[in-house]
Amino acid sequence: MGPRWKGKGSEARALADPMSKIVSELKSSLIQSDSRGLLSGCYVLLGVEPEQTELLNRACFGRPIVTAQKDKQWFQLSIEEAFYLCYNLRCLKIVGEDEHVKNDEELWKYMTSKKETFPDLFKAYSYFRTQNWVVRSGSQYGVDFVAYRHHPALVHSEYAVLVLSEGDGNVNGRLRVWSDFQCTLRLCGSVAKTLLAVYINKHGVGAASPSCLESYSIEERLITRWSAEQSRDERTVTEIGTN
Amino acid sequence: MVREDWASSSGGTSDSEVCVQDADEEQHYFNSGDIPKLQFRNNISVACWDDKMGMAEVLEMEGGMWITTGIVCDSKIYCSVEETLFLAERGELHLLDAHDSSVMLKDIYRKVAQGKSGCCWESFEAYKHLKSLGYIVGRHGIPWTMKSAKNKSAFLEGMAQIKETDGNIEKPNQVTELFGNMRITHVKPIFDVYPPNSKFRKSSPGNPSFILCLARDHPPSKAEIEDLERQCNGIPLKFCHVEHGRVSFVSFNRMELPVLP
Repeated sequence: MGPRWKGKGSEARALADPMSKIVSELKSSLIQSDSRGLLSGCYVLLGVEPEQTELLNRACFGRPIVTAQKDKQWFQLSIEEAFYLCYNLRCLKIVGEDEHVKNDEELWKYMTSKKETFPDLFKAYSYFRTQNWVVRSGSQYGVDFVAYRHHPALVHSEYAVLVLSEGDGNVNGRLRVWSDFQCTLRLCGSVAKTLLAVYINKHGVGAASPSCLESYSIEERLITRWSAEQSRDERTVTEIGTN
Repeated sequence: MVREDWASSSGGTSDSEVCVQDADEEQHYFNSGDIPKLQFRNNISVACWDDKMGMAEVLEMEGGMWITTGIVCDSKIYCSVEETLFLAERGELHLLDAHDSSVMLKDIYRKVAQGKSGCCWESFEAYKHLKSLGYIVGRHGIPWTMKSAKNKSAFLEGMAQIKETDGNIEKPNQVTELFGNMRITHVKPIFDVYPPNSKFRKSSPGNPSFILCLARDHPPSKAEIEDLERQCNGIPLKFCHVEHGRVSFVSFNRMELPVLP
């Protein structure tokens, strides 16, 4: 299943405006305005100027919050998005309710205490983002993430991503029984996405600090259903066609 | 450049659902008259079951299916229990025992149930599913052709090994030279599958399209998949799960996420 672009011209527009460039512009803008986000539960709230609103939207970070405030646009960033902007791109500072800026270690400890699976999920998230894919929550499909080649307005997401942990057992307990496979595959098929399993191996390094991330390795496997009938019919058609 | 339309939203993930027609509705039979019956053919092949080998020696060959069924050993053709049962169910094979008496379908089912001939019921269902669609299916690890008598005795020894170890997955590895690194694990390769091919040659079958592995109780772990990939030397793997007459095939192909611009 290749990329499904939405409408004519979308693919060209995506090519003309690469995601790497958009993210780079976002990074510069946030650094310039010394942006600070407020940590609240599993989210970071960020108030931004109009220029940054556009960049956040184009780069697909966060969800806009509708408020009556005219001079600022508020965004809600997920824990992974916020940490990526803070730790990988170094363009966002995050403060706690005490208004002190939290350092990487403090943030990591906080986030791993909120979500046990955070290290694995973040490793996968940052892997996709670093390769310039757009990553959003996959919760409405019962998966961890959905991955897009560019902005969701231009293209449908290709992959439904499940993050699995190696070595210390599946952290999220998925795909351990056949019924889960049947269920997930069927759902992915009905929304035209391919199931992508991303295996994170921590190599026994643990998850005490963000520097552990460097030692984690990733392996991707596409999980696809094969239809013996379809395969045979396609083959027959091809053979007839080449005669 | 027109940015407004897609820059104004951060893009919801509400991809519209593509309605896939439920092509695999279950077949329900209400009256016994609704259950289809296969017709016995006029020209039926005949084979004789060899208990020691756990295979049937073909005595009379009728029909073109022998191009893709049975292994050749010492100019004779032997078929596995799944090949035997498949043909017997379709009325294309008449099976005899060592005393020349007919072996009824119920006795062939029992042979599968006993698990001494290297094929369990689930494996047979997978075999039947693929064969019915025209695929060429051979027992993994067993060559289509064997020439010399020496190989044959080693082969028979190997077959006896399969019989002993099949039912009991706890036993340590018992292998003969011929079967190399066949390991007894929870997930095992069962069949070599080739696409439908009227020009199939048992003397030079080539590489199978894929090797089918059966994972009965639960799906294969990543470690098991990697283990099997190493064993199978680059030939694609598929895993099947059989439940309530439904055979599902799943692949776990490695991929590397492309870097985007």
